[in-house]
Amino acid sequence: MIYKAILADDEKELRTYLKSMLSKIWPELMICGEAQNGRGAIELVESKRPQIAFLDIKMPGLSGMEVAKRIAGLCRIVFVTAFDQYAVEAFEREAVDYLLKPISEERLVQTVQRLKNQLDSSTEPPARLAEVVEQVLSRLPGRGGADFLRWIKTQEKDSVRLIPVEEADYFKAEDKYTLVITKEGESLIKKSIKELAQELDLAQFWQIHRGTIVNVSKIDKVSRSLTGRGILKLKDRPELLTVGRNYLHLFKQM
Amino acid sequence: MDTHDINPGNVFKDLVYTIILSALIAAFLTFTGITTKSFVINLIVSQSFGFSVYSMIHILLWVFKPEKMASVVFIVIMGIASGTLIGLQMGYFAVRQTLSIALNQQENSLLQPIILAITFGSVASYFFFTKARLKVSRGEIQQERIKRLSSEKEALEANLRLLQAQIEPHFLFNTLSNVLSLIDTDPASGKSMLVDLIHYLRTSLSRTFPDPVTLDQEMEMIKAYLNIQKIRMGERLHFRIELPDAIRQYPFPPMLLQPLVENAVKHGLEPKMEGGEINIKATEEGDLVRIEVADTGYGFSSFQKAGVGIGNVRERIKLLYGGKAHFIVEENRPNGVRAIIEVPKHDIQSHPC
Repeated sequence: MIYKAILADDEKELRTYLKSMLSKIWPELMICGEAQNGRGAIELVESKRPQIAFLDIKMPGLSGMEVAKRIAGLCRIVFVTAFDQYAVEAFEREAVDYLLKPISEERLVQTVQRLKNQLDSSTEPPARLAEVVEQVLSRLPGRGGADFLRWIKTQEKDSVRLIPVEEADYFKAEDKYTLVITKEGESLIKKSIKELAQELDLAQFWQIHRGTIVNVSKIDKVSRSLTGRGILKLKDRPELLTVGRNYLHLFKQM
Repeated sequence: MDTHDINPGNVFKDLVYTIILSALIAAFLTFTGITTKSFVINLIVSQSFGFSVYSMIHILLWVFKPEKMASVVFIVIMGIASGTLIGLQMGYFAVRQTLSIALNQQENSLLQPIILAITFGSVASYFFFTKARLKVSRGEIQQERIKRLSSEKEALEANLRLLQAQIEPHFLFNTLSNVLSLIDTDPASGKSMLVDLIHYLRTSLSRTFPDPVTLDQEMEMIKAYLNIQKIRMGERLHFRIELPDAIRQYPFPPMLLQPLVENAVKHGLEPKMEGGEINIKATEEGDLVRIEVADTGYGFSSFQKAGVGIGNVRERIKLLYGGKAHFIVEENRPNGVRAIIEVPKHDIQSHPC
């Protein structure tokens, strides 16, 4: 039986290289398509139905891992990567095929031998792959859990300024919009404080009043006023902020 | 740091000690019979000695503000010597004035006042010496602590520099794969890619040292980096560098632009399927050198983590120039990111890293 394979890598030169090596080591293998991004790879697999897909992990659009999740049941996958520690460790542990760039000939010979053995003995691709990929993806930094707001976009005269969220000292409601106050000054965000509260990382930002959210790392101290409300002082800032009655529990002594 | 703090509280305390000490010495001299004078006379002379020694030591400490132990010892000895001389005259004068007794120095020989002076001098010097030593050693501990803290800070900065010089492994291995492939398909391109890689590696590794570099050298390195990326990404990457000859030789802190350019490639263009452009423009505006790195890539989504690079650049600019430099990141219309660095051009050379 003649097997078919596709290659996906955003770098043309590297596709050429892999193709020429494969043609030497496994001349009967038919390369039925090449893709330069993740979406292209999925289309190729769906239209050409190859038995094998060589997927570069780092590609624009969908990454090789994301592609693998979608096509895991359709064909056998060999990941190709220049350097992805997390992934490589997991692949090693779970006996998933992978190649390191620059691809060495001996390693490719081994991989090809393994693929041939697997393809000859059974026709079903292993189902476990999607699980492994999911596991690796969830461990990648920035992928696990919910995503929080990282950049605040503010309008300045004729440009949109990008401010890393951790530079904000606090946010203050201003009608429908919100003022962000940083060391450099204050600017207006076209979002209500309510919307903002839902996007911020609650470990880093605390709402202390209906109209105020502060950066926890910038808090200096909180004291009680005579009327029972909290007065919050920020580091390196003169102004005092009021802590609403409903939010005082945040500052109860441990 | 003040090892000889002359604050009013200390001066007053020392004065009280001196008065008590002088009284004890007068009593000691009278009751042991070393001198034949009455207690009152001994007391007056002794207080004169005490006061003048005390004044001289304090005046000298205040005038010379010694830092080292040796100079403190010297000043205390000088204070005692000059204080003794003055105190002797003062004592005789005071006795004559208050009791109308003229002490005949010839008649009494010099023995008694000398004994008095030596007794007082040794007690006083022991007293002041231990006190001064305590202060100096306290000062030395503090100096030690400051030294330790600043060396810790230096180590931290060195680590930071190492971090900056760290070569992205993805970039390195991908480039090497390309070279390997080009050796077969297009040896000339492979060769020029390798040359660029060598240039890039050598420069970024040598930038671990804080030698100032010129804007020209920095741009050469960026060009090598972008040449490599150009071969990798093909039509997906276009770039232009504008550096007027007039400002080529300006010194510029190393590894400040590099993270911005790498960010533009890594987060802006590489993930974007159709790729885009990077424009780097350096201009001179009054006292400032302004460098703009603009890409037409993905831009930062609001939820994307700020790269380590950007945080580092902001940190270092603050460290190097305080409030005199600016670093702005903004949206590039219609898409992408524009980073702008403005640094005072005269200040650059005085900062080594």
